[in-house]
Parts: sequence; structure tokens; C-alpha cells
Amino acid sequence: MIILSPEEVRARKRRNLWIALGLVAFIVLVFTTTVLRLQQNQADERALLESQANGAARVVK
Amino acid sequence: MTEAQTTPVLSTSQPEDFFQLLKPRVMSLVVFTAATGLVVAPGSMNPFVAAIAILCIAVGAGAAGALNMALEGETDALMRRTRGRPVAAGRVRKNDAMAFGVVLSLFSVMLLGMNTNWLAAGLLALTIVYYAGFYTLLLKRRTPQNIVIGGAAGAFPPVIGWAAATGQAPWQAWLLFLIIFLWTPPHSWALALYSAGDYAKAGIPMMPVAKGARSTRLQILIYTLIFVPVAIAPAFTGMAGLIYGVVSVVGGLAFLGLALRLFRSRAGDEPDKAEAVGREAALYDVRAQAKPARDLFAFSILYLMALFSALLVEALSGLGV
Repeated sequence: MIILSPEEVRARKRRNLWIALGLVAFIVLVFTTTVLRLQQNQADERALLESQANGAARVVK
Repeated sequence: MTEAQTTPVLSTSQPEDFFQLLKPRVMSLVVFTAATGLVVAPGSMNPFVAAIAILCIAVGAGAAGALNMALEGETDALMRRTRGRPVAAGRVRKNDAMAFGVVLSLFSVMLLGMNTNWLAAGLLALTIVYYAGFYTLLLKRRTPQNIVIGGAAGAFPPVIGWAAATGQAPWQAWLLFLIIFLWTPPHSWALALYSAGDYAKAGIPMMPVAKGARSTRLQILIYTLIFVPVAIAPAFTGMAGLIYGVVSVVGGLAFLGLALRLFRSRAGDEPDKAEAVGREAALYDVRAQAKPARDLFAFSILYLMALFSALLVEALSGLGV
């Protein structure tokens, strides 16, 4: 049977806490990145559609 | 059960030890130069995207540092400057440091790619492999030119920052790379001149150990003569403005003066103080004779910071070209 010293248990607890915080931070960053990229892509698409519409209008004139 | 009480079954490493594995001081320089590349690059960038990109570059550089410490634990334990590092001091196990470095490398490269573009992510991955694999494993112990070739790893961050902002790596980004690349040899060899004993003990063929102090002082001067014009170049290529021009010229002349003073000195000709008196001494407890080397080392850091600060100030204030 393996008996852990109080120091080992304490160190493991602190490491686990920081791993959890790191993972949560990573999830938040991935989520934020996804939202920002979606916004950017939508803005690019809108700009493209507007420029196409303006081009078509010029041809009609 | 007795064994469990004498030999730790689990690691007793603390989170602070893992933070130290990231080489926070090197990381701060990486953050600064990468941020400069990102800000100086043309175009605008969402501040959140920029912040996440800088974080990824910092963590990637830290991961490379962790891998370096994992691979060099035994060597680090032999040198005064590095013996307190977590792996060398036995506070973190080698495999734990390695796993930490690999996981952070993967996370940082992946996130940078998702957040900005895959050119920036590829350059970050290249930097990590270059530093931890090429420099640490292959180069460092094989040639006195280790620091010259290995210096490229430290020079990549502004290019990564630029690529993150624009998706491209034009010549302006590579000029920033060249500034750090050419700055590294005089900076590192000045330090090596007054801690050569340490490197010799660890079996690392740094220039003063392999070729002697006189040759090192000459090479510092030669590299400085190449470095200073390159450092001034952004002011004359339309990349920077008046502030940068003044800082780079005045600082460059001072750098050249210190390199010339070092060349004429006898820095590194005798063993350092700790060896001479046979006792432990602080790293910066150098002989009066080695003062020109220490002064150049300290000034080199100041000069690089001043150059990149000037670029940053000009870009942020719109005073640049």
C-alpha cells in the first residue's frame, strides 16, 4: 500500500488546482477566439457582398 | 511502507516551480519583441485577438524554455547561473518538465493558428523545435558558434508577431529578426567572458572556452561592427522615424565604444573570482578586469530594449514614417 506524505498530498492538490485553472483558461480562450473569428468572417462576408452589389449597380448604370 | 516514507512516491513540485520552467525573464523579452512586431506591422488588429496572439507566443517561448531545462538538467546543475533551476535543483522531475513543455507547445501553436493564421503558428512551432531540438540537443555542445546559430530562436518573436498581424512575413519583419540575431553574439559572449569557468566545467564550448578570451573579444567587436549598422537601418528604410533614428545612432555609438573598450581590455584573460579564490561567488561578482565585459552585457540589454521601445512608441503614437 502506498502512503503519501502530507507534503506530497498538498503539492498534488495545488498542482491539480492550477491544471484545472489552466484548462478553464484554455477553454475560455478557444471560445473567445471562435466568437471573434466568426465576427470577423461575417464582417468580411458583408463587405464582399456590398462590394459585389456596388459593382453590379455600376454595370446597370 | 518505509520506502514510501523515505522516497517520495509523488512529485512534490509546486506550481511556482513549473512557472520557473517557462524562463519568465526570457519570456518577458519575447513578449516585448513579439508585441513590437505585431504593433509595427501595417493594418489594424482586434485588441483581443492581438492579446491572445501575444499570450500564445509567450507560452510557446516558455514551453521551449521548459523543454530546454528538461534536456539540460544535469548540465545546468554544474553552473552557478543555472543550478537553481527547477530540474537542476531537483524540484521538478525531468519527465514532468518534458511533458509540461510538450503540452504547452501543442496548446500554444494550435491556439495561435486558430486565433490568427497558420503562418504565425508554423513560425512559432519552428522556433520551439529550433531552440529545444536543434540548439539544445545538437548545436550547443558541438561548436563555439552555438550562440550565433542558436540566436535565431530568440530572433523569431517579432517575425511571429508581424505574421500574426498580417499573415505575411515581409523584409521589414526579417530586419527585426536580423537585429536580434546579430545582437545575440556580442551580448552572450560578453556574459561568457566573465563566466567562462562555469561553461568549461559544464563542457559547453562557448567561445571563450574554445577559442580563448582574446579571440572572443575580437569577435565581439566584429559582430558589433555588423550589428550597429543593421540596428540603425530601420531609420533609413522607411520603417522607423526620427525617435528610432536618434536612439539607434546614439545607442549604437555607445555600444561600439563599449565593444572597443572591451576589445582593448583583458577581460576573460584570467579565471573568474570564484575560481581564483576558491569559493562560491555571485555571478555578477566579477573581477575589476572583467568590468568592460559586464558593462557591455548590461548595455546590450538596455540598447535592444531601447530600439524596440522606440519602434513601439513611434507605431503607437503615429510618429513613425
